[in-house]
Amino acid sequence: MFGRGLLKGLYTTVKHGVMTYFKGYKHPFLKRYFTEGPAPRLEPEGVGLFTLQYPEEKYAMFPRFRGALMHLRDPETGQPRCTACGACALACPHGVIEVIAEGKGKERKLVDYRYNLGRCVFCRLCVESCPYGAIEMSHEYELATYENKMVLHLEDLLKIGDRSGVTEQGWAWK
Amino acid sequence: MAVALKTQEIVLNMGPQHPSTHGVFRMVLTLEGETIVDLKPVYGYLHRGIEKLSEGRSYLQAVPITDRLDYMCALTNEFAYAVAVEKLADIKPPERAEYIRVILAEFTRILNHMMAIGFLFNDLGAYFTPVLYAFRAREHILDLFEWVSGSRMMPNYIRPGGVAGDLPEGFIPKAKKLVDHLWKFADELDTFLSENEIFLQRARGVGVLPPDVAIAYGVTGPVLRASGVKYDVRRAEPYSIYDRFDFEIPTLPNGDVYDRYMLRLLEWKQSLRILEQALEQIPDGPVSEKVPRRLRPPKGEVYGRIEAPKGELGFYLVSDGSDKPYRFKIRPTSFVNLGVLREITVGHKVADVVIILGSIDITMGEVDR
Amino acid sequence: MDLENFLPFLGEIVARWLKGFLPVWLVDVIMMVVVGLLIILLMVVVVMALTLLERKILGRLQDRLGPNRVGPYGLIQPIADVLKLLVKEDIIPEKADKLLHFLAPVIIVVPAFMVWAVIPFGKKLVAADLNIAVLYVIALGSVTSIAILMAGWGSGNKYALLGGFRAVAQLFSYEVPMALAILSVVMAAGSMSLQKIVEAQSPLPFVLLQPVAFLIYFICGVAETNRSPFDLPEAESEIIAGYHIEYSGVKWAMFFLAEYINTFAISAMVVTLFLGGWKGPVLPSYIWFFIKVAIMVYVFFWFRATFPRLRIDQLLNFSWKFLVPLAMANLLVTGLVVKLDLGYWGKASAYWAGNILAGGLALYLLGRFTPKKALA
Repeated sequence: MFGRGLLKGLYTTVKHGVMTYFKGYKHPFLKRYFTEGPAPRLEPEGVGLFTLQYPEEKYAMFPRFRGALMHLRDPETGQPRCTACGACALACPHGVIEVIAEGKGKERKLVDYRYNLGRCVFCRLCVESCPYGAIEMSHEYELATYENKMVLHLEDLLKIGDRSGVTEQGWAWK
Repeated sequence: MAVALKTQEIVLNMGPQHPSTHGVFRMVLTLEGETIVDLKPVYGYLHRGIEKLSEGRSYLQAVPITDRLDYMCALTNEFAYAVAVEKLADIKPPERAEYIRVILAEFTRILNHMMAIGFLFNDLGAYFTPVLYAFRAREHILDLFEWVSGSRMMPNYIRPGGVAGDLPEGFIPKAKKLVDHLWKFADELDTFLSENEIFLQRARGVGVLPPDVAIAYGVTGPVLRASGVKYDVRRAEPYSIYDRFDFEIPTLPNGDVYDRYMLRLLEWKQSLRILEQALEQIPDGPVSEKVPRRLRPPKGEVYGRIEAPKGELGFYLVSDGSDKPYRFKIRPTSFVNLGVLREITVGHKVADVVIILGSIDITMGEVDR
Repeated sequence: MDLENFLPFLGEIVARWLKGFLPVWLVDVIMMVVVGLLIILLMVVVVMALTLLERKILGRLQDRLGPNRVGPYGLIQPIADVLKLLVKEDIIPEKADKLLHFLAPVIIVVPAFMVWAVIPFGKKLVAADLNIAVLYVIALGSVTSIAILMAGWGSGNKYALLGGFRAVAQLFSYEVPMALAILSVVMAAGSMSLQKIVEAQSPLPFVLLQPVAFLIYFICGVAETNRSPFDLPEAESEIIAGYHIEYSGVKWAMFFLAEYINTFAISAMVVTLFLGGWKGPVLPSYIWFFIKVAIMVYVFFWFRATFPRLRIDQLLNFSWKFLVPLAMANLLVTGLVVKLDLGYWGKASAYWAGNILAGGLALYLLGRFTPKKALA
């Protein structure tokens, strides 16, 4: 009989519509969002609301999440661990990283570390190539700015590292 | 008294900005009323020179670039590339890495198929509902990918010689739970869409691709199998560990839009079967061979291929002994499948073009490269 | 005085007060203008509510919230939308037929408002109780197709032209079964006045007596308003926006306004013709009217969230090869029963039996000729 499939379709959609009032993220009276702090990832369920009210609700990032690059400090001296060896710049597929150093051999010292955010594809090859554990990917993903500030310098990267509280490279990949 | 009315053909440029060309694809349609007399596909709007870019980079640096080929299923692109490089440099990845690769590739296949079905219905005019349901299930799969690799869509995880890191703790139970949900979701989509009379009318007998034409054009993947040709690289030339799993290659006889839809649903269920077995059997052990960061494979050439969700995806690599590939050629699935578009579209209506294109399931990132 | 008579009573007071110092004919004119303005105002508010409601309902059916940013629950969203449309630049394509391009939005919106003159909102709330109201509604419905063709041709765009062609073919085809479906109601009620038709629906509404006519009228109504699954003239995924692709700002808002008013009007017509209009217990009649219309509008939105679109040739086939013969058969049944002397309940059961027979047979036959699911 004609119409059976159509009715099945109507039943599916209305089931979803009704279940949004019962399952998923709850949205109480006059409040758009529910979770204070990071929102948990939803368990796989067929029904219920699944959208996140973004600026208010945010997911907690997985440990391995790859956001902007950051520099780590040596916990004893508080200095950046980077030795300006340039392995990361070589490993980068897009020439995002520019290491500026002074001196030769043992005297070689890091002056600046330019990280071009606009070209970065967040592949983590630089971190993997680093023999000194000096850089890591942070969890920062809201990287849009009002100023034309595509290139992050050493102090910015160190600041990101301080914010993240990470002390060890590859902590999430153990 | 019969008066022959003089009619004029219209040339209609569909795309490159059009909601249902799945990216920046342009079709120059010649219309007689609503009927299509001729179709000329125009592509290249998304050309990024991926092949040439990769030739200037080391074998490892090319992995994140392959992610951007078919951005819907990045993990299978990496998989294909890894298979090719391993063949070239004669590396055997460890057992556990193979299982991880298979698990992620099959999840990618399901993801791609559900999105293909969803967007096919978008083209049919079902206002975003199937696609949003698909997005919802896709979100769970992408959560797994992000958990494993740190990125939802551009994982850079499967590397020549293994994978970038071991699975995080608790991954296997979570993945099993998701597999259970995906069975249910497949059934839900089946009840929601498969019997819909409007869909049946729209899709049955539209865009019929005969098997001989499909083979002549080199079409692979679900589009080929929906025409009744039982060809799947996973069975025809088993790579990785696919010979260990018990699964079927579904085929359907008609080769129309409906069969392509239905075949994706069936394949999705077979992928779930593979996943169930793989998640059960996965052994412990190392996940990566020691591969130098600047890999210098011996001189030679190699063609490595896998069954990507959209069809056969191959990488043809020529090595001159240096750390960069001398030639880096991709056999893109979408591009080859798209070649058949004119053949199966001419004679249908304007409304059919978009659903035929949707049923071929292309990603412009792979077509233009 | 109760709630039921409140608005007519208010009108009478104002009219009496005006008659104190104005000639009678002028008072009549003023009252007509006031009622017309009130209806237009009501419709604008209704459209704003509908746009929000549609997005909310679609959102819920698709597992999301819908608009929720502007004001509590997103209630101010339509106002924001209207403001944005009003300040948007009005673009006229260089190759457009300027006059037609300008006139089309005007012509489409006028009949949309005019329909409301005859639709009874309540027991005493009807602007003009015409004795040929049904004819009036059908006639106004066909003006829309002219406006859409003007928009499609005048825009000088191929997508718009295709949309215009599709619209004309579709609207003409669906007017026939629609008129036939209404005709069976008119025969059963014995009048063309909508008030009389509403009054004829007691104790049973016509949806129970004439389910087939109801189904046909509803399907045709969806097609007449260009809503999913019959939204071919503005098919988003094929011809982008169809006939109104080249319109922006206020002119585009006019098309939008007309579409939503028509949706609401078709729902109101379904309610009036088949669901007992403003009839209902306890609550005042106009409240019942709006409740019923809201339910019908919900069904419109529900369809939009669920169904894919038909193709143009299938659409026309469906009208001429299925709906028209079915409507004719229904008309035949109705004509027979009207002439028989059976008493109310006898007639009701005869209608019912005839409708179920005709409808069931038609659906069965249609099912036979629809392509089948794969034998996987």
